[in-house]
Amino acid sequence: MSTNVEKHKRQGNLWQRRKKQLRPFLESVFLPIKTIWSDPLGRPGAVIFGLILLMTIFAPLLATHDPNVMNEKVEGIVIRFGDSQWDTPSQVGDTPLNALAWVDETNALAVGTAGSILHMSDRDRWVTVDSPTEHNLWAVDASSPGFAIAVGEHGTILQYDGTEWNQVETPTNVHFYGVAVASAQKALVVGQSGTVLSWDGQFWTALATNNSNTLRSVSLTSEEAGVIVGDRGTILHYENGSFSGPTYRGFTDATFRRLNAVQLYSADIGFAIGERGTIMGYDGQNWYTMRSPESRELRGVTFVSADQAYIVGIRGIVLEYQGNQWEVLRLGYRRDFRGISGIDGQALAFGTDPYINELAPPSREHFFGTTHLGRDIWSQVMYGSRTALLVGILAALVVNILGLTVGLVAGYYRGRVDNILMRIVDVMYGLPLEPFAIILVLIFKPSLWIIILAIGLLTWRTNARIIRSQVLTIVERPFIKAAKVAGASNIRIMLVHIAPNILPLAFLQLAVAMGYAITAEATLSFLGLGPPQVYSWGTILHAARLSGAWRTAWWWVIPPGIFICITVVSVFLVSRSLEVLTNPRLRGGNNRAPRRP
Amino acid sequence: MGKGEFILKRIVQLLLTYWVILTVLFFLFRLGLPDPTAALVVEGLSAEEQAMVQARFGLDQPLWVQYFIYLRNFLQGDFGVSFHYKAAVFPILMEKFLNTIVLMLPAILISYTIGPVLGVILSWKRGTRIEFSGIVSGLFLRSAPVFWTGMIFIMVFGIWWGVLPTSGMRTVPYDADNFLTKIFTLDYLWHLILPALTIALYYLGLPMLIMRNTMLEVMGEDYIELCQAKGLSPRTIMFKHAARNALLPVVTQAAITVGMAVGGQVVVEVVYSWPGLGREMIQAVRTSDYPMAQASFMLMAGMVLLMNFLADMVYGYLDPRVVTKGEGR
Repeated sequence: MSTNVEKHKRQGNLWQRRKKQLRPFLESVFLPIKTIWSDPLGRPGAVIFGLILLMTIFAPLLATHDPNVMNEKVEGIVIRFGDSQWDTPSQVGDTPLNALAWVDETNALAVGTAGSILHMSDRDRWVTVDSPTEHNLWAVDASSPGFAIAVGEHGTILQYDGTEWNQVETPTNVHFYGVAVASAQKALVVGQSGTVLSWDGQFWTALATNNSNTLRSVSLTSEEAGVIVGDRGTILHYENGSFSGPTYRGFTDATFRRLNAVQLYSADIGFAIGERGTIMGYDGQNWYTMRSPESRELRGVTFVSADQAYIVGIRGIVLEYQGNQWEVLRLGYRRDFRGISGIDGQALAFGTDPYINELAPPSREHFFGTTHLGRDIWSQVMYGSRTALLVGILAALVVNILGLTVGLVAGYYRGRVDNILMRIVDVMYGLPLEPFAIILVLIFKPSLWIIILAIGLLTWRTNARIIRSQVLTIVERPFIKAAKVAGASNIRIMLVHIAPNILPLAFLQLAVAMGYAITAEATLSFLGLGPPQVYSWGTILHAARLSGAWRTAWWWVIPPGIFICITVVSVFLVSRSLEVLTNPRLRGGNNRAPRRP
Repeated sequence: MGKGEFILKRIVQLLLTYWVILTVLFFLFRLGLPDPTAALVVEGLSAEEQAMVQARFGLDQPLWVQYFIYLRNFLQGDFGVSFHYKAAVFPILMEKFLNTIVLMLPAILISYTIGPVLGVILSWKRGTRIEFSGIVSGLFLRSAPVFWTGMIFIMVFGIWWGVLPTSGMRTVPYDADNFLTKIFTLDYLWHLILPALTIALYYLGLPMLIMRNTMLEVMGEDYIELCQAKGLSPRTIMFKHAARNALLPVVTQAAITVGMAVGGQVVVEVVYSWPGLGREMIQAVRTSDYPMAQASFMLMAGMVLLMNFLADMVYGYLDPRVVTKGEGR
């Protein structure tokens, strides 16, 4: 009976006994946290590390862009030519400008993507005005301050009456690409499928062209004479409501190229330009091919006087004509122009097509700027923190588990076991980390696991030594001897009696190993030994170095390094505050660090 | 345990350890790379030539025979022929090794002269703002990745200010008959400044913090009190009496650092295009030059072991208690 009760009592106490065994472990876990918090340097370290940890968790939220996307930038740019010289580009609005027309020598109108309309007054004051449409506008022309027409996609025609823009009912839904306004009573609009609309002051009427190509541009020299150009080398002469084909002087191979723009200065001088550097001249009777210094697409042409004309094209092309031939001007601007529009002695080149926002310095859009491929560095750094901490924590765990086991076993059993294990540690001390990792990558393939493996395999050596020496002193203590006498098994003594006592030390070593692993990961990734598709602070710097752009793009180099520094320093500070636990001599008189059991 | 016995035991230990490392290296290479001549076949070797090369490496023999050939070749100083240079590995390796040494030694010398002095000052100013900022900046120096500081230095001194050369050991082209005429020039010193400074800054933190910690321990000893009682100035006590005894861990750390530095600063050589051992190893990996990679690693591991051994010896010499205590436990 009594034995039964005792048995029952023992079973009931099982949980309590387990709890009693767990207690030292729990204490050993909380002790370091209390110690870190009470240390003046440990606390900021822990806070910073916590922030970095939060950063890795919320990296997708913090990242403002997809780190792999080449970011494009869209903006309206004009470059002014006046007084025989070109100004620097200035930004006007957030949408590309598609067309621009002068009203007089100080005022102009511009239209662009998504129905945007801008008015320029006093030469450089730009104002966005209300637009009645959302469609892209492709052309604009004005005959006086009180009359202008803008055309665009889906049959859009807008008329300006001097105060506001109004949409006009049109009989068609085709896209319009060109407009020329001779006066308030005469205008031509051209577009897809050979469409030509004529304005007579009151109504729009369609004119038959017998041409099904897309018409791109139109230029009038008077109310009843002009030229229309378009795809597949189309050139149409307009005269009194009817059309006629061109005549050519000499051989031309440009008749099947798309012509983007035409500009007549007078009835006997004009140019038409198009893709593949095509430049055609007009002498009043015949068209002829002009020698072109460019082979890429040309987008716009304009006269500033009878013997001075300019052409713009993609990739910042600007060509100049001074009476006999075209020559390349280098303005140091590399983006795509949409066109150019001139008036006596001055001109405005405008654009632009979306461009890759490469090597942009830090801005509100890109906090840390962009790479040479237009990728957002801030987002890369955010995602990179994940790799750093993942490798740091995993490697530190591997290091600690290996070091703890070896140190515990070696220190507890001593003798031959100790000797063999310590000789293995000696071998590990002979292997330099970076070269060893390089060899591993040479033999296997670059991956995060190789990096974790290399760090894990090579840095447990210090842990093992330190833990072992600690175990050696603990084993000598009376309570271990008492446990032995009481018949506790070796495993039990190691796990229940010794392990809690070395946990603070293990905690310290965990922090030390983590700082070391984060640096090592960055170093190996920097050498290009990490997996290329994963972002880490090291790979960002590796990419910067590989691109060659790092020499000037400081925003690409500084942030990843700063983050490595801050993370490692915070870990160092934490580990430093933990040293108090293991080295009582560091304790000052009024230090509130708790005493070890 | 006598002194001679202590040294002998350490030497035997050293050789055994090195042998184990060589063995690990051999099996690691064979594991990932069953046929090292595969890389050569691409270059159009005929079947007979291939067989010849295989016979030379002993690849037609069973694994354990290959292992003994490997050890024999190592003992004879035959490290094979570099795939990349098409020349014997050893002379090339020695040249790169010397290049590394003339970069690392000045750098380590700088940090281990300045570091301890700073450490003494930190312990002297204990509890002040100076100590605090000293510790924090020491930690920052230790945690800033050395390749990153290198890049920043190149950017600032090389590109923005354009005052210092940022790559290589000498301005090319140059002619030098041998190694000594190559480095005994102002041009070499000029090229040395940035990389050496980078490494020195990185290594500066450790001796400084170690020195501070040991100084704090030493300052608690009785004889310091005696010095104070004698009325010696704090400066004399600090630098003449306390620092001398606190130097011990710094000296051993210096030896270990030299050993590690031979292989440990691959990144600095890469950043500054310094034609040293580490850069050579990276190149060997990129070009799949296995004999070169293997021999570089052997050399690096050997240096680490040797310098650790020297550190032990120095420690034993400076603190004779170590020698006798060794057997105590």
